[in-house]
Parts: sequence; structure tokens; C-alpha cells
Amino acid sequence: MTSISDFDAPKPPPWFGALVPFLIVLAAAGLYWFITAEQEEDQNYIDSNSEKKLSGSLIDGQTYYIFASEIEVFPTNLEDEGWDRGEKGPDIRYRILWKGNAVFESITKDDSLIADWSGLSIELNWKDLLGKSVSPDDVIKAARIRFEKNEKIEIIVKDVDIASDDDVGRHEILLNELSIGKNEIKLKKSTSNAIRNISLRILPVGSDLQDLAQIMN
Amino acid sequence: MAMNITRCFIALSAFLLGLGLIAPTLTIYPKAGELTWLIEILAPEELETSTYSIIGVIGKLYQLNDVFLALLLCLFSVMAPVSKLTLYWQACSLSFRPKEFNRLLKAVHYVGKFSMAEVFIIALIIVVVKSFPGGSTAQLEWGAYVFTTSVACSIIASIGLEKKG
Repeated sequence: MTSISDFDAPKPPPWFGALVPFLIVLAAAGLYWFITAEQEEDQNYIDSNSEKKLSGSLIDGQTYYIFASEIEVFPTNLEDEGWDRGEKGPDIRYRILWKGNAVFESITKDDSLIADWSGLSIELNWKDLLGKSVSPDDVIKAARIRFEKNEKIEIIVKDVDIASDDDVGRHEILLNELSIGKNEIKLKKSTSNAIRNISLRILPVGSDLQDLAQIMN
Repeated sequence: MAMNITRCFIALSAFLLGLGLIAPTLTIYPKAGELTWLIEILAPEELETSTYSIIGVIGKLYQLNDVFLALLLCLFSVMAPVSKLTLYWQACSLSFRPKEFNRLLKAVHYVGKFSMAEVFIIALIIVVVKSFPGGSTAQLEWGAYVFTTSVACSIIASIGLEKKG
């Protein structure tokens, strides 16, 4: 019967001990990484919840801000002639109708085939916004609507002229087809429509300023 | 007995080094001078506070194609300290063989010259960031102090080895 004593046991090579500090360094780094990875997972969960808030379908009974961030019109008007007698581009303004009432009217964007609007008020001192000393309702330039299934809104786009405003087009949108965030609506040219594209933005009322700034710009 | 204490300091230094390399070391608060408020609206991501670990800084430099600086930082803040601690540990193991121990001690002295180089590199980063325009600022995080403590422990270990020598 044989037994292995300390003298007989195979000894590690002399350089083996040199690995100890290296292994301790790796172990400490690994330990820290393991602890913080769990915390990051929790943080990611919170972030993804926040993102969910800014996307998804509209909820019945909830009130939303809605505005067109961009409207593109065809190069010719309803009579297939140049805008403003071919001298300049159209001066575009839009209105949002909900339940037959005009609930929002935009400012006019001069000489534009692609007109854009910010959902945030341009009269606002931005420093106030950054300081968060104003409420979202004071800041937002958008219609407020309440989502109800099969309810519609209508967007009426006009070419603003001194004498009288010319029709560019009008389009009814079923609210069921919209979602929170950006919604693209592409339209075809016809004798009653010269709108090519509408970008609508929607955000739930009650969102904080950071979310609003993110989605409105 | 003295060698065991030295070993404890080496192990502590190694542990703190591992932690210090991966823990938050530096937080940069970017600003754009008088236009800060405008940038916060137009491109808020540009002004987001960034926190880096030493390994993170090396990775970032590498991503920015600044390979030379990435290698320099890797050499001074990762490879040199690990090599130094490895040599210290090995020197402790050979303390009962005077000839080999003295030979290793010479190598330890040589590597020891890099002792404060790691801290110097961090100081350099802060100076660079502090000289950014627009009032950008940098702040040391707890990882920097852990890293510095690791360096201090390794210095104590080297003193222990020198006494033995």
C-alpha cells in the first residue's frame, strides 16, 4: 500500500505562484462585473418600461396630444397648376378637427412644399423648459384629443393667401390606426387632394417634459 | 512572517487593482459654454454625462482609432501593475534563495519605476478634459481612489521586499 506524502506530491512549477496576483486581479474585476451586471439589468428594465410608455397603441379614454410635425404637398395644386401662380411655394397651414370642431390650428409656414412644425412652443424661453419651471400644457402646440374606438380626426391643409385661402386637401384619419409616437400617412394626388405626406406625432397627456421634448422634436 | 505581510499587501493591491480597473474612475460633464442650453435641446446626447472606468477609457480610445494612447494607457495602467505584482509575489516565493531573490529584486526595482505612472496617466486625462472649451469638467469617481490605494499597497509591498533584500 502506498501513500503520497507532501514530499512525494507533484510540486507546481516555480512560475506557478506568479499567477496568483494575476488571478486575484481577474477575480476582483469579475466579482465587480457580476455585481454591477445585475444592477444594469434592473436599470435596463426601467429604461425599457420608459420606452414602452413612448410607443404602442392608443388606450381607450386616454387623452393625447396630436400634431403634424411635417406635411409635404405635391408640386402642383388641385388644378395641376403651380402654387401661388407659379411664383412661390405654398404658404401651408393646417387645422385639426375632432368631433366636427377645430381643436388646433398651426402657424403658417411660408413658401414650403415640405412644411414642418415643432410640437413645442416657439414663444417659450427654452431656459424655462430646461429648468422645468413650466407645465407641459404651457409648452405644447398640439391638439388635445381623447381616444375612442372608431373615432376620427380630420386634417385640413390650406395654402394661405392674402385674398382667400386655397384648399390643399383634407384627410380623415381613423384613430384606431394611430399609435404613440410618429405616424406616417402617404396620400395620392387627386382633384381634391394635393397632400403627399403627413407625419403625425402623438403623445399621452401627462408625460413628463423630457418625454415630450424627445417625441415633439 | 514579514514576507507573509508583504504577500498580504500584494494580494490586497491585486484585488484593488482588479476593482480599480473596472470600477467608475472618471466622470466627464460636457458643456458648450453659453450655447449649452441650445445644445441640450438640439442634441442632448452630446451633453450626456459619461462615466468611464480605466478599461472603458482604453476601449473608447481604441474605438476612436487612437491606438497609440490606448496602448500607452494599457501598458501603464494594466500591464505594468500586473507584471509588477507578479514579480513581487515571485520575489516573496524566492525569499529563501538569496541569489535568485536578489536577481528578481533588481527586476522589481526596474518595474517599480512605473509605480506612480498609472496615477500620472489619470491626472493627465483630467488635465486634458479640464482644458476642453465650454466649461466641460471631469470628476474622479471612487474607482480612481481604489486604483490609487492599489498603487500605495504595491509601494508598501516593494518596501517590504527591499528590507528583506
